[in-house]
Amino acid sequence: MTLTAAPTDRTNRLSTTRVGGQLVTDYWDDLFTAREQGKQIVWYNGGALNPIFQAAGLAWCHGEALSARLAAQRLEGPAQLAGAEYGYNSELCSYSRTHLGCAVLTLGGDPLHDDPGSSTGVVGLHDRENLAAKLPRPDFFVNNYAGCSTGQQWDEISFRVFDKQVPIFNVSLPFLWGNKPDAGYLVGDEWESASRYVADQLRELISWLETQTGRPFDWDLLSESMTYIKQAAELRREGLDLCKSSPAPATFWDWIASVAPINFLPGNQALVDYFQDVKDEIRGRLDAGVAAVEGEKYRLYFDGIMNWNKLGFLSRKFAEHGAAVVAGRYIQNAFWQEPQLIDPSDPLLGMAQHYLLCPTNHGAKTLDHLTLRDCEEYDVDGLVFHSTRTCRAFTGPQRLLAKSAQDKLGLPSIFFEGDVADASFYKDEILESRLVAMLESIDVKRARAS
Amino acid sequence: MSHYLGVDLGSTTAKAVVVGDDGAIVAASTRAMGAVSRAGMEEAVADALASASLTRDALAGTVSTGYGRRLVPGAQRTFTEITCHARGTVAMVPGARLVIDVGGQDSKAIRVDDDGLVEEFATNDRCASGTGRFYEVLARSLDCPLEDLPDLALRGGADLEVSSMCATFAETEIISLLAQGLPVADIASSVHRAIAARTLALVAQVGRHTPVVLTGGVALNRAAVHFLSEALGTDVLVPAHPQITGAYGAALLARDAVQRGQEVVDDVADADDLFPRIDHSSAGHSCAGCSGLLPPTSTRVDLGPIAPVGVHGQLG
Repeated sequence: MTLTAAPTDRTNRLSTTRVGGQLVTDYWDDLFTAREQGKQIVWYNGGALNPIFQAAGLAWCHGEALSARLAAQRLEGPAQLAGAEYGYNSELCSYSRTHLGCAVLTLGGDPLHDDPGSSTGVVGLHDRENLAAKLPRPDFFVNNYAGCSTGQQWDEISFRVFDKQVPIFNVSLPFLWGNKPDAGYLVGDEWESASRYVADQLRELISWLETQTGRPFDWDLLSESMTYIKQAAELRREGLDLCKSSPAPATFWDWIASVAPINFLPGNQALVDYFQDVKDEIRGRLDAGVAAVEGEKYRLYFDGIMNWNKLGFLSRKFAEHGAAVVAGRYIQNAFWQEPQLIDPSDPLLGMAQHYLLCPTNHGAKTLDHLTLRDCEEYDVDGLVFHSTRTCRAFTGPQRLLAKSAQDKLGLPSIFFEGDVADASFYKDEILESRLVAMLESIDVKRARAS
Repeated sequence: MSHYLGVDLGSTTAKAVVVGDDGAIVAASTRAMGAVSRAGMEEAVADALASASLTRDALAGTVSTGYGRRLVPGAQRTFTEITCHARGTVAMVPGARLVIDVGGQDSKAIRVDDDGLVEEFATNDRCASGTGRFYEVLARSLDCPLEDLPDLALRGGADLEVSSMCATFAETEIISLLAQGLPVADIASSVHRAIAARTLALVAQVGRHTPVVLTGGVALNRAAVHFLSEALGTDVLVPAHPQITGAYGAALLARDAVQRGQEVVDDVADADDLFPRIDHSSAGHSCAGCSGLLPPTSTRVDLGPIAPVGVHGQLG
């Protein structure tokens, strides 16, 4: 009997997500050639403004999405090095550090801005060819960030990297403290007034885009796009609900693989078809009794943004121990997660509300409500907190959530450090030891209860 | 009589404990290493088996723990050190509610129940902050032998500001304090106090429950115990041989499994029935083979003599 055998891959990932992967690849290829297609390009961060850009006839680049993609492909290094050379230190949000590095490389590829004296020589032409040559220069910046001070300044910094020559529009998203007597999730005066406040700004953004592009905004196209997105979001929600079954037919990791499509792909029939296929595959698995994790023994909740360069690795690690990660804040509580709020014929209010529903934009009371609700509905045995090193907005309330889960539901938690797009913060032995220790403690509880 | 082996291959020290059917320690051995070392672990195991006059073939079960737990040949099952320290410590100190284990490169606070089962735990977040390695850095920076560090720290009075808990940067900070001409004893005591405050933050995550037991190699540093006790505002109990609680817990888990009719298996997913329910009607910890070095219960910490520090603490 050996203790050092190579881990067995006990994952059974959804096959339909590969289709989503191709849709996303096609999207990026299209974006990288947007200039050649004669399109204007907007760089943006935060909430999913892409339906507005789609209706404005723009190509769009979501900064976090690009950073996540680079990290998932292990291509983040050159951009981060460029960011470091420019002056961004490693404690800065690695999404923004990577994206700002891309901005530096993009700018550096422009002969007008080439300044040999500004380079340390660490970042070379090779990086520009691989990254900057692909990401076209922006014609506009739009910031739509909730609950994160770095995010709210991110495009302002990009604006300065480009010598304040690229027009910028900032959407202000109030934090939902949830302290007023009538406050709660999706209810109360704070919620209603913040929703109207943001919706008004979206109207201003659309007017601004009309001025900048010299074209009238296509309101019909916005409604059409939001009709598709609402359908896709409903299918996604239904698919998520199916994963409450035990054993789970799909896991958090499968849904992570579907973040990009729901987050920034165009609203169209292909998007709806994709989520219909995902849901159908899950339904088929339920009917056939097929589990996402072979021999599911534990069900866990994952709190934290994805460690993008560890998606496959983490899915195998948890499955190796019989642990199905069935829910998480980044999946259940993000990405058009409340489609009933969207009125396709007049979509701005529902869109504004989703921008406010960013999982970093809630006070502790609401987060507590959402986390415990999902822990109960998905019948989890414990929580895993990805203490995302450079994302304090996400990690800030994690200890409160862990304590609440322990006190109110008797659920154990572990923490491990990692990062969204910087693999250097992840230490495998730490997660391994803590995960196994928690599973052992779950075994103890079960043994005593039996 | 059947015998069971527990091996704790930690980051700096290998520990091996042999127990009999009654759970009493028959033999124990520790080996200091530079890092996780298979050779050091094998020496510790060989010593323990020799002390017990046993061969490997005579063992009824072996469980390993610690960072190097997967490197232990012959182990049928691994458990994390959290589970093992909890089990071993409560067997040594019945009634313990909070186990603080400070090892070579990590520290943990474990809330336990009557049976030595883990209720909740927290571990240090990163680096060597507040761990045995940190004290080694302190001793080196002060040019003080490690074994003399506790006495030096206990002589210090002033509370100097020591903010960094990164071992590398703390060394820089200590050198800076030395350059200011501040008393070495004050620096030593201040660093101990800062580490205790750091440990307090760890305890805060699981709650301050008493009795508190400190285990791991750092528990041999009576200044560390003193300042931790001061920070917690309560007595801190230290078993006479706090380094072996993990290995002892591992040996007990092997024994429990066999006595419950379970094969000691290496698959977490099949391990439900391995966990023990301690029979409180029987005596607590006893030690048949360590010549009285291990008392039947714990030693209350005061500033008087405690068990000697030894880099090769073979017992029995």
